[in-house]
Amino acid sequence: MNAAAKQFDPITFQVLWSRAISIADEMATTLVKTAFSTVVRDNHDYAVAVYDAEGDLVAQANQSTPGQLFCMQRVMRDILEEYPADSLSPGDILIANDPWLGSGHTPDIFIATPTFRGEKLVGFGVTCAHHTDIGGRMAAPDAREVYEEGIIIPVSKLYDKGVPNDLLFRLIERNVRVPDRILGDLRAQMAANHFGGERIVQLLEETELERLSDLTTPIVAQTEKSMREAIAELPDGAYESRLELEREDADGNRLVIEMRLEVRGDEIFIDYAGTSPQVDLPINSVLNMTTAYTVFSIKCALHPHIPNNKGTSLPIHVSAPEGSILNPEFPAACMFRSSLIFNVVQIIFDALSNVVPEKVMAPSGTFPLWIERFGGKFDDGTPYVCGFNGQGGQGARYDKDGVTTTVFPANVSSTSVELLEVEAPLLCDRKELITDSGGPGRQRGGIAQEVVLRNLAKKPAVASLSGGRFHIAAPGMDGGGTGMHGAIQVGDDDPIPQPKQVLMGQETTITFTYPGGGGYGSPFERDPAKVLEDFRLGFVSQAEARNAYGVVIGTDGRSVDHAETAKRRAQASE
Amino acid sequence: MTSDLPFRLGCDIGGTFTDFVLLNQDTGKFVVHKTLTTPIDPSEAVETGLVALQQSHNGYPGKTENVIHGTTLVINAVIERKGAATAIIATEGFRDSLEMRREIRYDIYDIGAVFPTPLVDRPFRREVPERLYSDGRVRNPLDEGAARGVLEDLAAAGIESVAVCLLHAYANPTHERAVAALAAEAHPELAISLSSDVMPEIKEFERTSTTAVNAYVKPLMARYIKRLEERLAAQGFEHGLFMMLSGGGIIAPETARQFPVRMIESGPVGGALAAAQLGRQAGLSDVVMFDMGGTTAKSCLIRDGVMPISTEYEVDRVHRFKKGSGTPVGVPTVDIIEIGAGGGSIAGIDELGLLRVGPLSAGADPGPICYGHGGAKPTVTDADLVLGYLDPGYFLGGEMSLDLTPTEAGIQKEIGEPLGFSLLQAAWGIHEVVNENMAAAIRMYVTEMGGNLADATVVAIGGAGPVHADSFARKLGVKRLIMPRGAGVYSALGFLVAPVSYENSRTSIVPLKDTNPDKLGDQFKALEDSARAVIEAAAPGADIAYARIADICYLGQGSAVRVAMPDDLDIEDIAARFADEYHARFGASYGDLDVQFVTLRVTATAQQETNAIALPFADSSENVSVALKGERMAFAPDLKEMVPHKVYAMDRLPAGARIAGPAIVEEESSTLVIARGGHADVDSRGWILVELGDPKQENDG
Repeated sequence: MNAAAKQFDPITFQVLWSRAISIADEMATTLVKTAFSTVVRDNHDYAVAVYDAEGDLVAQANQSTPGQLFCMQRVMRDILEEYPADSLSPGDILIANDPWLGSGHTPDIFIATPTFRGEKLVGFGVTCAHHTDIGGRMAAPDAREVYEEGIIIPVSKLYDKGVPNDLLFRLIERNVRVPDRILGDLRAQMAANHFGGERIVQLLEETELERLSDLTTPIVAQTEKSMREAIAELPDGAYESRLELEREDADGNRLVIEMRLEVRGDEIFIDYAGTSPQVDLPINSVLNMTTAYTVFSIKCALHPHIPNNKGTSLPIHVSAPEGSILNPEFPAACMFRSSLIFNVVQIIFDALSNVVPEKVMAPSGTFPLWIERFGGKFDDGTPYVCGFNGQGGQGARYDKDGVTTTVFPANVSSTSVELLEVEAPLLCDRKELITDSGGPGRQRGGIAQEVVLRNLAKKPAVASLSGGRFHIAAPGMDGGGTGMHGAIQVGDDDPIPQPKQVLMGQETTITFTYPGGGGYGSPFERDPAKVLEDFRLGFVSQAEARNAYGVVIGTDGRSVDHAETAKRRAQASE
Repeated sequence: MTSDLPFRLGCDIGGTFTDFVLLNQDTGKFVVHKTLTTPIDPSEAVETGLVALQQSHNGYPGKTENVIHGTTLVINAVIERKGAATAIIATEGFRDSLEMRREIRYDIYDIGAVFPTPLVDRPFRREVPERLYSDGRVRNPLDEGAARGVLEDLAAAGIESVAVCLLHAYANPTHERAVAALAAEAHPELAISLSSDVMPEIKEFERTSTTAVNAYVKPLMARYIKRLEERLAAQGFEHGLFMMLSGGGIIAPETARQFPVRMIESGPVGGALAAAQLGRQAGLSDVVMFDMGGTTAKSCLIRDGVMPISTEYEVDRVHRFKKGSGTPVGVPTVDIIEIGAGGGSIAGIDELGLLRVGPLSAGADPGPICYGHGGAKPTVTDADLVLGYLDPGYFLGGEMSLDLTPTEAGIQKEIGEPLGFSLLQAAWGIHEVVNENMAAAIRMYVTEMGGNLADATVVAIGGAGPVHADSFARKLGVKRLIMPRGAGVYSALGFLVAPVSYENSRTSIVPLKDTNPDKLGDQFKALEDSARAVIEAAAPGADIAYARIADICYLGQGSAVRVAMPDDLDIEDIAARFADEYHARFGASYGDLDVQFVTLRVTATAQQETNAIALPFADSSENVSVALKGERMAFAPDLKEMVPHKVYAMDRLPAGARIAGPAIVEEESSTLVIARGGHADVDSRGWILVELGDPKQENDG
């Protein structure tokens, strides 16, 4: 089908590649700058890519969220199955948010803009953005089917030869809570794509490149080659891992992910056979998303610094049983698939720790993602919808402590308390680090935080509470201890057992205790000076130093009692 | 014409060198001097340099109108963690905001990433009971007894400087001021920085971070400025000392003592100021400043003579060129991008088998292979030498000779062989890749600003700038470039053309439709009053021009644009201006959406005349051939081969001369390469303007 690809000398190829990435990065900048959704601008919950005319990804922007990043790899091909390339005209803009086609939940809307040079289709600018609202039961944590999670837009033309699809616009406008923002963000996506299109044409005009696909082929080949080399460095072998989750199926049994990872030559085969069947909870992860986080985890461990494109995925083969939580069938609910899918990172790192312990991270307290949503009215009647993000502690690394309150594996920023208090009638009573929250270890797990939010408005707020590690804390790795559990408490009530939606009356508080990261290596191997420093900073209490680390802090509170410490550590190792 | 005070002195303390530029305003001539920086007491190097300048300009201190001073002292104190014993006083429940940062990663794949150590140690981040609502109303009054106790503890613990960072203090500074008053009463020795003074803008992490940096360097800068004033007085300087700010204005030392964080990036501003003034002299609308030195390249887009100002700045990056890996500093800063691409940037093969250049640099020691000081890794300068752009016998005006043979061998071994390239292909690869890196960074930067380079001109300065400017400009679609005389030291001149200027700001979130123009006027007036005090301290009696600016966005949007306000603050006019500005940046604007003010700003500038600075070319009826030094082979990118280039001496060029590419123009501090198809005009006012042209149109006649 392809005419022989044009060959470039390596420097020209490299410059063209760099320019293609730079187009995607500039599109992303345009999107972030013009977006209304805090989810896009602060959470970086978007992905941007440039595709060739065949629908293959040429380059994508660096800063975005991993799930969408990897889902981008095949989405354009799928869109073209519905609207073949030869049916597209200048002025067309395509839209879709079907979770099974894209990135696994309804708020992620893909906008694809075909780019023409004259009459000839030369490529696509594509953006995916997580929208503030998509209708349905406002991200209900107890949704049983995807129908409850807002409108589903199959691949459609949002613009046809420059003419807006009035029906679709009106349908969206009528089905979402904050139509101004949703339409504003769709416009931001279209603006970014348009910008990308101009840059693609400019690239073709200014350089010797005639077709983007002449670039795609060597980019993918070079990336794939490099990825294969990294895999080939691992010894052949198979590693099995099983992870019990705190979420339960309808019969009250805990969900399970089972995985077999096999390294064979320069390829990796991952099979999730044995994983629990899909559930009537909004946590199912479509295969696209499962594959995304599987490949992401392997890339993080083996080859973090190369650009991402199809070449990174080609040597990695992922399968998951149909109808399972990692490959659910329609109409499974999937809004909070991140609360499930991030566990894939843990299970892959666990398997890889057998061969490359220095390249993986202990489990983090940062997943599932804690994204709280609030909706209600100011006392003057003005409605609001807002989000609040906070993070637990990351898992410890082989040679470094876990990072304090920093997101992983997604990439979202926290919510400024001052901005939150402007945008909503909420007040934050406190936001502080928690002593003894990081899992003990030779390298300590990351420290977590506690946040207390209060509703000031007379009207109750609807709070959609998401979070986790309520029952199963982040375990340690290689002898490291577990991080602290997470908890969400409404007022003085007992912690909620599962994520849920609650009403928050005036002056009611909700306390969010984020989970700590797991430790790496035995805490008895931790340098006592580091334990003392953690004590000084208030990250580790005197009791934890003694009990978990076997380090006795001197009576002056400023030194290590080395004799007592040696005794304690010797006793413990007996 | 001569005056009593003909001289102006610029002095910039850098990490390695302290640079001086002494300008005679009557003649427009200047001299440049360098001396090694003295890290323990940087004012010592200043004195050494001042004394050295006496040799050529005896008695100049008494004839100097003013001394303009910039320094890396502030930024180095932060990077090296050598500031004062500093504490933070926060609202109860919020002392960890500095450590929690934005809770986001700056690299999505790198699980080994680290973040900067907080500037203030956790035991010294203390809290006081108090609370404001977001509109500034008091929810809980300040517990003064508790505040006294905290101050007592901190003073007893040997703390020298305190940053007071209370929630929503931008909306109501009362509680912060009460803490300051308690401190002044009981512990006058404590240096106090209030977030409501340093950066009265919303977002607690950014404001706390900025205020903490200010507190951290405040005692150090106060001591330094005092010593500097003493040394200047001892040398016989009797007139104004000014401090250079990151925002491109200069102010009196007292303001710098209060807000040293405003000086944090004062050094790099010089190049932008100098390029802006060159752009004004040459009547250019859009100027891309391109300052390429030994370790980095800096760039900045100047439109209609106005330098872009950003308040989203970051210092002390763990990964020097990665956004998000540093300490945010939200003070007005000329928006200059810097990437690790200089003459000393090292080339190598990366894990994908591609040629990579920088950000690692060979520095001055061992330096590039061609220096012959033991450097074995090929650098950009090495490639430029092999390509014939540099003359091995005339580097730094002949002060240093470059060694070609080992350079060729090094490039061949490290780059050519692994990639299967010829020597020339390898050298051109290095040159081209570093240019692409810079072009990619500036394209991104221009997109962020919503700019357009169609009518821009590249101003090439720095030692390596004019060598790389042709290819850099072409990659941006820019068709003209300018190289001023003295390009290699040109940024030092910038200090001497800086205006006395200061920006004040305050967050005030109000929907435009609810805005009362009178109240808005009062808010701007208050900002003007406080800015006026700063300007009058530096330029007593000068007329002051005020520019009113507001950061405005659509309701619910995160990123605001700076909009210049009309004199009458007419709301409809403001809405229209915002729509225009937004449209210019993002290609669309939305009449149906509500608009809100986020932050109000006033820039006050003293209206003083500064003379244009330039080294004019001699008027002459001579032909360009008087400047011809000879001919050498150099690389023609379009032909991918070495072709003869005419070589000219810049200082001998006659005004009005025209040079056709391919050619090379050399001066002591830099070298200009004019590619085939290009034409250069020697402007009598002191620069060469190159029209790049199209090599395909080249007529070898």
